[in-house]
Amino acid sequence: MSDGPSIKPAGFAVILLFIAACLGGAWWMFARQAPGQNTGGSATGGADQPATGGASTGAGTKPAVTIGFAYGSEKRKWIEWAAEAFARTPDGAGIALDLKPMGSFEAGQAIVRGDTSIHLWSPASSQALAVFKADWDVRQGGEPFLMNESLALSPMAFVWWKDRLDAFQAKYKTVSFRTIGEALDEKTGWAGIARKPEWGLFKFAHTHPAQSNSGMTTLVGYAYEFHNTNRGLTLTQVLDPAFQTWMQHLAVSVTGLSNSTGTLMKEFVLKGPSAYDCIYVYESTAIDYLKSAEGRWGELRIVYPQQNLWNEHPAVVLNAPWSSPAQRAAAKAFIKFLLSEPAQQMALKHGLRPSNPDVAVLTPDSPFTQYQRYGLRNDLGSTGESPTPEVVLNLVQSWQRSQGGR
Amino acid sequence: MRVSVIAASITAFFAALTAGLLLSLLTSCGDAEPSAVTTEPAKPDPQALELLLTYSSEKKDWIESSVSAFNAAKLTLTDGRRITVTALPMGSGECVDEVNQGTRKPHLISPASAAFITMGNAAAQVANGKPLVGSTENLVLSPVVIAMWKPMAERLGWPKKAIGWADILPLATNPQGWASVGEPLWGRFKFGHTHPEFSNSGLMALLAEIHAATGTTGSLTSAEVRAPAVQQFVTGIERSVAHYGSSTGFFADRMFSGGMGAFSATVLYESNIIDAATKNLSTPIVAIYPKEGTFWSDHPIGIVQRDWVTPAHQEAAKRFIRFLMDKPQQEAALKLGFRPGSPEIPVGAPIDAAHGCDAAQPTTTLNVPSAAVLTEALAMWRANKKASHVTLVLDLSGSMNDEGKVDGAKEAAKTFIRGLDDRDICSLLIFNATSTWAFRQQPLASKRAELLTTIDKLFANGGTALYDAVIEAQKDFATAPAGEKVDERISALVVLSDGEDTNSSASLDAVLASAAGGVESGGVRIFTIAYGKGAKKDVLKRIAETSRGKLFSGDAATIRTVFRDIATFF
Repeated sequence: MSDGPSIKPAGFAVILLFIAACLGGAWWMFARQAPGQNTGGSATGGADQPATGGASTGAGTKPAVTIGFAYGSEKRKWIEWAAEAFARTPDGAGIALDLKPMGSFEAGQAIVRGDTSIHLWSPASSQALAVFKADWDVRQGGEPFLMNESLALSPMAFVWWKDRLDAFQAKYKTVSFRTIGEALDEKTGWAGIARKPEWGLFKFAHTHPAQSNSGMTTLVGYAYEFHNTNRGLTLTQVLDPAFQTWMQHLAVSVTGLSNSTGTLMKEFVLKGPSAYDCIYVYESTAIDYLKSAEGRWGELRIVYPQQNLWNEHPAVVLNAPWSSPAQRAAAKAFIKFLLSEPAQQMALKHGLRPSNPDVAVLTPDSPFTQYQRYGLRNDLGSTGESPTPEVVLNLVQSWQRSQGGR
Repeated sequence: MRVSVIAASITAFFAALTAGLLLSLLTSCGDAEPSAVTTEPAKPDPQALELLLTYSSEKKDWIESSVSAFNAAKLTLTDGRRITVTALPMGSGECVDEVNQGTRKPHLISPASAAFITMGNAAAQVANGKPLVGSTENLVLSPVVIAMWKPMAERLGWPKKAIGWADILPLATNPQGWASVGEPLWGRFKFGHTHPEFSNSGLMALLAEIHAATGTTGSLTSAEVRAPAVQQFVTGIERSVAHYGSSTGFFADRMFSGGMGAFSATVLYESNIIDAATKNLSTPIVAIYPKEGTFWSDHPIGIVQRDWVTPAHQEAAKRFIRFLMDKPQQEAALKLGFRPGSPEIPVGAPIDAAHGCDAAQPTTTLNVPSAAVLTEALAMWRANKKASHVTLVLDLSGSMNDEGKVDGAKEAAKTFIRGLDDRDICSLLIFNATSTWAFRQQPLASKRAELLTTIDKLFANGGTALYDAVIEAQKDFATAPAGEKVDERISALVVLSDGEDTNSSASLDAVLASAAGGVESGGVRIFTIAYGKGAKKDVLKRIAETSRGKLFSGDAATIRTVFRDIATFF
């Protein structure tokens, strides 16, 4: 028998009361912690994890509504920044953004097919919307958009490796689709153009006109240059035999044909002049890669075409049956954020010309100020207008005939 | 109100006190570390979502370290499940073929180049009406180069003179070899590349051969591939190869370890050259960026578009791809000799002259042709590639009856034989305590069915005379098939054994001397299979490596895969 101290029933009661009080206090302390102070191990939505592919926006809170945002991959860096910044705002808390970087036509076709995961869409240009709307009218009918706002502007541009541009201009003087076609026709490639056999064949690329907005816009550029105009392109001009012959001849020599402008630009930088001497892409896409290209192969140069077109990067809230009122409201809130001054200033850093008139383009830290030596110009003079969907579709179909299943 | 605040403060004080006591108790009584308390979520571990990635083996070291880091980071989906990644290295062709054939169900694939995505998508479109993968992202890049020993490259004028496919490939078919350029002591110009149907570098080598034959650098056409002069040129080069193989890394190792006598030039990746530089070889190897242009191995990764890939898998796959593209992983790739797929990471050391490479190269590339032309090029290659003379040496000792080994080996051997070409010649030597020719130097075009029937009749019993069998089988190669020269075919022994030699009159040294004897003449490669737990791997490895072949390991469950891998050498 032990002769040590023993605990009586009253003692047990005191201990139990003490433990109950402690547990109660612990519960009270944790319960009063503000939402967002979760210290769990999940990395979802963390600062180093951009909101891609279903990342939640609030740190540790379950979002009230999720919206799918299909957007052109040329805006990827800006949109990923914006998604994270939006999540930190009062309007963005409780909204989960499912970011879907997609080709403009790929997204349009997905919506027409009834992809219920897309509630908000931003292709690169209103041309993609016009083509989509013609398809939507046939398959679904009714007004497809609740809200349509231009997020930013960007014209088209030829992007070159500097040494290749210098050699090209020494022979052809100007950069145009006509002179590029002449260089593509040079059987000995750079040996014939600039006595540089080590550069191989002359290589020019743009995206696939049937899969990417910038590819389609390139064909419009072909047509405007051929007919020396920048507005009112007609079906007669598209079907002009002389133009058809010229375009199809040019088309068979073009390489690349990526389905995404962002992907093409990235390939251009990664593989350097070995793969492409010149590509035709959005100005903003080129700006986004100017600095990283220097760390790879050397300097880039931007040359604007004589007949240019604006890409308006419209954002539309879908008036689709699968979109709930809460999702529509959330989509509108995100558009509002994208047009806010901080978001527009960030767009400018990524080479997109702001839609918000309160955000100046030529600020000291703007790429349009800093990168003028690369050929960037703020004032482009007269720019053209988008042709009708019927004209554009005929252009694309004519181009496809030259490809032979390529 | 005031009372409740005071009460709450007292309660909170005791709570903190109790928490401290409990923590002390935990740390003093058990093995649990304090960090485990804070890093594990309070709720039970959610069920993990597993991603399967199949990828080309060239980037094995990088992928393995990246996958380890990813799994250690314990990233989760929005539904709370943890993501874990399993990655399997294989040939680029297998990455796409396995999905199209339904033999494996990965969620992500990453062959070594977009050419395999192009071909895989075209095949999938025909079979299923939809592509294999959608958009892809280039993880890392490495140009395809001609790997040469520095003195040999210098003999051809490198680095002052630009060298191209059209300079190298005719040398491989010139009977005078190095003597034709004033170096008779270097013997024949030995050229090698991997199997074009399984390996990206092999496919790129084939396309380069066709370009060299046509003299063009634009996109290849079907008419060019079919041209008799092109086929003749390709045949000449392919006749000079010692063997193929599915792994560019293995090919590189064979070149590095074999010295200047093994290969004069092989088609490798720039990253292999950097790997060679880190091995401090007695003779350095340099990368030749062909003057006509080359191809990029751009390691695309894409999410498989099949019904087993759920939205959760897609979310997880995007997260994993993003992780691979992040700065730490991309910088690690550069250290291993790959050019980063992220444009944000500048290209620098080790892609430099000190490692036999030049970051300013290549200056031009050749176009990867359409899927239709690629398929036609492969068919042309199969019709013109070097035929094989293969002898299967099968262990039929009594121990092969255990664990279903003999049946597994017979089925796998039959699959292997079905995969050989009609132009190939095959022999079958079976052994237990003695060796018996079951089939000797028979053309498969007319005798394939007979050989398969013979294999069906085999059974196992008795002892093991492995060494005698290998020597017996190798002697048979001294006699060429009727009307042929001895080295006109890829000559190989495939030796399968499950145990220790117990009955040979010959010694292991005699086997090794015999295996080494054929090396200088470019002779018989021995591919050994250590079959089952009792196999003598060390012995079989020595035999294989002495002949510049390769050891494989397998059991009844994996032997088909082993034979399939061996088939890529022919």
